[in-house]
Amino acid sequence: MNPLIHKKDHKTELATQDQLRQYLTFQVDNEHLAISILDVKEIIEINTITHVPMTPAYIRGVINLRGNVVPIIDLSARLGRQSSEISKRSCIVLVQVDYKDDIQLLGMLVDAVEEILEIPESNILPPPDFGGEIRTDFIQGMGRVGEEFIILLDINNVLSIKELSQLKQMADYEGSDHANREAGYIASK
Amino acid sequence: MTKTILIVDDSTSMRQVISIALKDSGYEVIEACNGQDALNKLTGIKIHLIVCDINMPVMDGITFVKSAKQLDHYRFTPIIMLTTEMADEKKQAARDAGAKAWVTKPFKPPILLSAIAKLVLP
Amino acid sequence: MSDINPALETFAQEVDELLTAMEDALLVLEATPDDVDCINSIFRAMHTIKGSAGLFGFDEVVAFTHEAETLLDKVRNNEHLIDAQLIAVLLACKDHTAQIIQHVLSNEDEPLPIALQQQSEALITQLTGTSPVAKNMTSTQENKADHVEVDVNTSDSSDNWIISLAFKQNALRNGMDPLSFIRYLQTLGKIIDVIVSMPTSLRMEEMEPEDCFLNFKIVFNSRADKKTIEEVFEFAEDDCNIIILPPHSRQEHYLQLLEHFPEDQLKRLGEMLIEIGALTEKELDCVLKEQGSDHNAIIKPVGEMLIAKNILQQPVIVQALIKQEAIKQKINKEANYIRVDAAKLGYLINLVGELVISDAAIRLIVDKHGLSDVNNVVGAMSHLVEEIRDTALQLRMVQIGETFTRFQRVVHDVSKELGKQIQLQITGGEAELDKTIVEKINDPLTHLIRNSLDHGIETPEERIQAGKPEKGIIQLNAYHDSGHIVIQISDDGKGIDSEKIVAKAISKGLVKPDQILSQTEIYNLIFEPGLSTKEEASNLSGRGVGMDVVKRNIEALRGSVSVDSELGLGTTVTIYLPLTLAIIDGFMVEAQKERYIIPLNMVEECVEMNSTEWKIDHVQHYVNLRGQVLPYLRLGDFFHNNKKHQATQRESLVVVRFGEEKAGFVVDELHGENQTVIKPLGMLFENLKGIGGATVLGSGDVALILDVQGLIQYAKKRVSPTLALSMTD
Repeated sequence: MNPLIHKKDHKTELATQDQLRQYLTFQVDNEHLAISILDVKEIIEINTITHVPMTPAYIRGVINLRGNVVPIIDLSARLGRQSSEISKRSCIVLVQVDYKDDIQLLGMLVDAVEEILEIPESNILPPPDFGGEIRTDFIQGMGRVGEEFIILLDINNVLSIKELSQLKQMADYEGSDHANREAGYIASK
Repeated sequence: MTKTILIVDDSTSMRQVISIALKDSGYEVIEACNGQDALNKLTGIKIHLIVCDINMPVMDGITFVKSAKQLDHYRFTPIIMLTTEMADEKKQAARDAGAKAWVTKPFKPPILLSAIAKLVLP
Repeated sequence: MSDINPALETFAQEVDELLTAMEDALLVLEATPDDVDCINSIFRAMHTIKGSAGLFGFDEVVAFTHEAETLLDKVRNNEHLIDAQLIAVLLACKDHTAQIIQHVLSNEDEPLPIALQQQSEALITQLTGTSPVAKNMTSTQENKADHVEVDVNTSDSSDNWIISLAFKQNALRNGMDPLSFIRYLQTLGKIIDVIVSMPTSLRMEEMEPEDCFLNFKIVFNSRADKKTIEEVFEFAEDDCNIIILPPHSRQEHYLQLLEHFPEDQLKRLGEMLIEIGALTEKELDCVLKEQGSDHNAIIKPVGEMLIAKNILQQPVIVQALIKQEAIKQKINKEANYIRVDAAKLGYLINLVGELVISDAAIRLIVDKHGLSDVNNVVGAMSHLVEEIRDTALQLRMVQIGETFTRFQRVVHDVSKELGKQIQLQITGGEAELDKTIVEKINDPLTHLIRNSLDHGIETPEERIQAGKPEKGIIQLNAYHDSGHIVIQISDDGKGIDSEKIVAKAISKGLVKPDQILSQTEIYNLIFEPGLSTKEEASNLSGRGVGMDVVKRNIEALRGSVSVDSELGLGTTVTIYLPLTLAIIDGFMVEAQKERYIIPLNMVEECVEMNSTEWKIDHVQHYVNLRGQVLPYLRLGDFFHNNKKHQATQRESLVVVRFGEEKAGFVVDELHGENQTVIKPLGMLFENLKGIGGATVLGSGDVALILDVQGLIQYAKKRVSPTLALSMTD
């Protein structure tokens, strides 16, 4: 059904053989979410994140990863919720997404990383057609663990460079709104 | 005095074109279609120059040149051989037979005319 | 030549006969493959057709039959076996020959149709097993060599050639008439004098009446070159010693040619002299033979022998030897260059980048711990790192001239195609920039030049009507300006009609009908996607189509592009590009606890922001700096528009310049110069204006590099339009 899942069958024979899939679960805005372990490059602690101005809230900034500059996405903001507060348990999950024949390394800011789950394929259900809080195309499937369901994210959609780089908020800076707002602010000071 | 040139070539069109070109330049022209035919035409008339192909039926050019060089009247007559670039041994054979000038085939009329002019001006 | 048509008819008839004979012979050969008469007859068919075709100038026929003839000659000499397969190929050749002759006879001046050409090639491949290309090339070269242009009549110099001819005893017997050559020589120039002499050793009693003992010295005036003169005597070479000594004027000519002799390759003296025409191959062969045959004596240099044999005058030889030495030195110098894989160089520059960051880190730690005794060492190392950086970057710098020159061809071809007369003028080709940028600028430049060709320059008729010279001019210029390279493409064409652009932009919904736009803003509309002022886009380019791509490509290189135009007079496109994409000198500032880098070469000055001395307009966002109206951005506020502004004690104004435009950035703190290794921000920030890249500081933190040009635009936008207009004036 999903080309992505299909692709991953080639990547790990093990997963195909016993029909088990591994997912990394983490917490964002008090919710448990998961992504396929195959998408995860690395999990790192948070150092300084440099804010990049004139970008939407879901772009948290950039970090220095061994000499390379890597953008950090605030997953909570990206999913339409409030921006994450950095705590002791906050982590960055590094993932790779494809864009224009190229690979981009991105960091995903999450509130806490939990565990690696093995979910049999038979326990993975297609995403609900409606009713969810999270955009349907962000969801790869629903994994059943015991009596609970956990949302399995499709990171190539959640972190689609094409969509993220639209930088819609930039318009504020281009137009006069922002200038007036600031001018008003200074004038009233 | 008009200079006379003997053309020996088995190709009629070749003879025809050369002959037209030479006549236009003011030469007198005699044609022969092979070595034997040419020898038959060397009957004591004054010929100032011979233009001769190598590859011809009945009698080839080299045999002809050798024979012509034996004839009293014609042993000093300059001969231009028409050779092909590949025939290096042929060239040497012609040189040994007594031909000292060549024009490489294929050629355009002006080339042959200037070669002839070096030996015999019209 | 008259009466060629009857000859052509004869030719056609002859070909017909020969080919029929060839076919018959081929069919006989199938049964009896060693029939010599048949093989001869086939050979003769190809041989004779080739000869006659050559006479008529049917080069295609010659080229094709030549291959068949060559192979058949081998068959004749038992060097090649004839089998059923070859017979089949030859039958095909026979048919093909008939076809191409049919074509050339009916369409004399037209080239062969592609199908026939391909067939020729296919058959030649079958005949030779090789492609015919190389052969054709040599034959055209030979043809070229045949047409040596000789200007016979314009010789006016009193300088003369001296030609010495010493005929051998047998010359007359071989049909060589010395007089005929001398007469023919007159067709190339004027014989001034002829001196005839006899060998002194000659004894009358040994003389035969048919012997030749004539020596000539001819004083000859001609503009012909040495090779042409030598060719007069080509048939006499066996029977005569020939020496051709060039005149003095020639000598000067040779000296001049030697002066400008190409220095790319080291050549032997003889080769050089042949190349300038002072020496002919025959003369050289003769000298070399003599040099080689002299086993006992010490081998004399060729130069000396040439002088001794009176073939060339001494000054020419001396000059040639000097030149040869100069070339030798130049080549030796060139041998010092090493070709390096660009990837290796890229890797080196990356490493240098890391080194620069490490250096910054070390200095940070030294400062932090107050290790004053280490300071000197660290300072020295920093200095070295800086030099290493500059040297490494210099390795990748190339001149832009080569990229420019390539457009000559484009301009030539396209203007021809369009029926326009256009000249490309190139200046500033020596300006250097990073090779990676040079490679990436080629496409945008091509597009801009094509635009000028296509839409800028008018047709000759239009130009004359407009009172302009018939020939249009496109100028490509490059120069360095404040750490950037500026490339300008200007044409003297019809310019850009701003009204048309606005109308188009309105119809596309890019601009509101009542919007007031400055001239610059109008021109910048050209770079909007999908804007084309040409009603019908030509097959080459439509202006507007792809201009947005041009702009994007240039901006991806951290550069910018702008247009200026005057209706009826021409258009100038100006491109600003950074010199390098790797490491720059940066100026670090701090605003609201974030550090930013401004490229140092764009910083004009830094002054304290002092509201009492200057008139600062907080509403309009400009300061009056020494009488100059300067728009400014308070970086902290601008970048953190959601956060609360904290009143800072002291602020500084950094005045930046990009091209003609200036603005001020208000910052909290100045941290001074630092070496900035540029790290790309990646695809995510492709559309972000105002931030040009990032860098890693000594502390390991990331700092953003400001896109000065983008920020100046923001700053200007916030100032009211009327004020903005007065500023551009």
